[in-house]
Amino acid sequence: MISYIIRRTLMAIPLLFGITILSFAIVQAAPGGPTSMMMDPTMKPSDREKFEEKYGLNDPVHIQYIKWLGNMVKGDFGDSLIKRGTPVSELIMNRLPNTLILMIASTILAAVIAIPFGIYSAMRPYTKADNAITITSFLGVATPNFWFGLLLIMFLSVKLGWFPTGGVATLNADFSIWDRLHHLILPAIVLATADMAALTRYTRSSMLEVLHQDYIRTAKSKGFKEKRVVLKHGLRNGLIPIITIFGLMLPSFIGGAAITEKVFAWPGIGQLFIDSAFQRDYPVIMALTVVSAVFVVIGNLLADILYAIFDPRIEY
Amino acid sequence: MKKQAWLLSVMLILAMFLAACSGGGTTSTEKKDPEKEEAAGSDEPAQGGDMVIGTTGNPTSFNGLYSSDATSSDVEGFMFETLVGSDLEFNPSVDNGLAEEVVAAEDGLTYTVKITDKAKFHDGEPLTADDVVFTYNIPLSDEYDGPRKSYFEAVKSVEKVDDYTVKFNMSKVDAQFPVVGLGFSILPEHILGEVPIADLGEHEFNTKNPIGSGPFKFEEWKDGEYVKLVANTDYWDEGPYLDTVTFKIVPDANAMLAQLQAGDIDFYSGIAQPDVPAVEGFADSVGLRLESGLALSYTFLGFNQRMDMFKDVNVRQAITHAIDRESIVTNVMAGLGEVAHVPESPLSWAYNKDVPTFDYDVEKAKEMLTAAGWTPGSDGILEKDGERFSFELKTNQGNKVREDITVILQQQLKEVGIEVKPQIVEFSSLIADIDPGVWNFEGIVLGWSLGTDPDPSGIFHTKEIEEGLNFTGYSNPELDKLMDESLQELDKEKRKEMIGKVQVGLAEDQAYSFLYYPEEFRAVPAGLQGYEFHAKNSYYNPNKWWIKQD
Repeated sequence: MISYIIRRTLMAIPLLFGITILSFAIVQAAPGGPTSMMMDPTMKPSDREKFEEKYGLNDPVHIQYIKWLGNMVKGDFGDSLIKRGTPVSELIMNRLPNTLILMIASTILAAVIAIPFGIYSAMRPYTKADNAITITSFLGVATPNFWFGLLLIMFLSVKLGWFPTGGVATLNADFSIWDRLHHLILPAIVLATADMAALTRYTRSSMLEVLHQDYIRTAKSKGFKEKRVVLKHGLRNGLIPIITIFGLMLPSFIGGAAITEKVFAWPGIGQLFIDSAFQRDYPVIMALTVVSAVFVVIGNLLADILYAIFDPRIEY
Repeated sequence: MKKQAWLLSVMLILAMFLAACSGGGTTSTEKKDPEKEEAAGSDEPAQGGDMVIGTTGNPTSFNGLYSSDATSSDVEGFMFETLVGSDLEFNPSVDNGLAEEVVAAEDGLTYTVKITDKAKFHDGEPLTADDVVFTYNIPLSDEYDGPRKSYFEAVKSVEKVDDYTVKFNMSKVDAQFPVVGLGFSILPEHILGEVPIADLGEHEFNTKNPIGSGPFKFEEWKDGEYVKLVANTDYWDEGPYLDTVTFKIVPDANAMLAQLQAGDIDFYSGIAQPDVPAVEGFADSVGLRLESGLALSYTFLGFNQRMDMFKDVNVRQAITHAIDRESIVTNVMAGLGEVAHVPESPLSWAYNKDVPTFDYDVEKAKEMLTAAGWTPGSDGILEKDGERFSFELKTNQGNKVREDITVILQQQLKEVGIEVKPQIVEFSSLIADIDPGVWNFEGIVLGWSLGTDPDPSGIFHTKEIEEGLNFTGYSNPELDKLMDESLQELDKEKRKEMIGKVQVGLAEDQAYSFLYYPEEFRAVPAGLQGYEFHAKNSYYNPNKWWIKQD
């Protein structure tokens, strides 16, 4: 097991390397650059060149890449070109906790609601309850985040005043856990909705398959209660594919919440990603690409490990 | 398939519900009569109050020589002071600046500025001539790598005369200098004096600890959340009356409106014209009022005049004839704007209203195009020498008004046999497309925000094609000469006449198809006093603002 993890980690290195080359090339190929967004229209091309020279933006792309890679390996992602003088790592660390809190909350919310519903659906397939759950989950998948978010804000925050309209905390107020949670609820619900819907469907189909297996029938015919059969014998096998889904969801922690973050003025990584992409803030874009690539690798690795724990047939 | 249709209708119903929600209807706590407010406006200013200003942009740096985004400049305006400010007619003014007097030499080659001896930086150090000389020497240095260098091209040197007097020596006459050049934030020499100029752009002063002499002091900047400023109780001039001002960052425009309606934001100056009726609907009930006026900007349709089809001035005039600009203002802008004929705002002292106009007249447009040799082809699209009159029309993504305009132009120009293919492009890419030497566009819908000085040469002078902003490639040597002369003219009346002639020429040539001047709307607290609508500055003289409680 340990050797498998080490092997997988080593295999990830060339993969990450390839990802950085590819994304560096794509980012550089996008038209414009940091200076084209310095919107003082009177800025002369000669002034821009001075700036570009200082930050090495005039060097050939491969030279820029090698320089960047050299620093990155040492853990230095450089400084932002737009918010000059600010280390990229500082920008990311300011925002990462917000994103993680939001994503963890929404994932837990999604799992806690979706898995029981999925199991119930599978236990009573094609009944009215199952159909209702199916329709609701399709609605959830089909609902655009920004629209659902605005709807909740308009209704629950503006009209009824139950929740704050956005942000992570009340302005000009002292830190309080309750205040933070209060701000977290709506964006977490919005983010959870889509995940919840998908998870319900996955759980349902996976459980349906398992519940038709011979060993379930055997367990039932032995006279075990249905609840015990489903939860003890069915669930453990039925949840294996769900673990994969969780593993794949992990990387979306970085960029997946951008739209929700925007609507709720939630200062997270997704917004930083979008802003820096529009401003062509190369060091920030690249750092975030690396971070999310690392998350992909970790996510897959985690899924594999959990597989082995849940499924005794799998050995590495 | 059936399920999809059903889902769609649910969505539509919910969308209507959303619209109904935004139409107001929250229980009204207090009704305010705007006229009564004004009558009571002579009351003594009251101390206290917190204001939350909404902004969609993230600031980048609080140093006027390095920042170039609107949010940063807005925040700087609260913390820093400039030598001269601007009055409501955009004339340079010493009333809201550090200068007590600006004396221009007869030949326009020196400016002597006497500043107040009362101003102090937020750390208590007095602001003197040394700070002014220090500040202006930064962009004059070769080491400077910020975006503002071109404003100081005509400045030869800056010298200290005495502790509170500074002399600017010019290498050539620059009629813009007193308006634009003297409008930069003064930085503290005692903090930044030792820093090499090459490192100033990255200095932590800009982001962590900016210190100016303005009515508000920097307190905290939480990236992506807010920038908080507190009153500078030692401010040398009037005020400030407010205790705190917080810029709250809300990137989404719809969410911003919701926050405004919920009372979480007290002041927002970027209300899009189509949203104005909704804001008007709820303003009263949440204690807001709307301030409005013509914006100092215009929106235009530009042509790449390197292309044969746009070289002929008659064709450009015909295109303008074919566009119903009134209907664009009515339908896209909710009627909140005015048709434009020149690249200058009616608010400016240099605005010339006696220029040739090309009003909506489809028949005339058709005649002019026929006279120019364009005849309808088999598909109804005009042709000349085997070339079809068809072009791509670009605009930036995310600006709903401009996106709509491209579609309307497509319909309207089709009437005269011109095919328009709208193309919506991400903003950074669009800006890169119009960069000098790139010129990767055919037609383009964009807007210019105008400066307080009316000089049009930065956009229409031939010398700006290769290096500057004249991306359409427009060139008229006669107007070039007039523009050069106007920049050398220090007499305001004479300069106005010259610029007026340039405007006539630009209108006659239809250097652009000028579309409209938008009207601008700002939501402010209903009880806000001491606020004046300045078209260029939403946050004009914030030291005079106070909140009237009732």
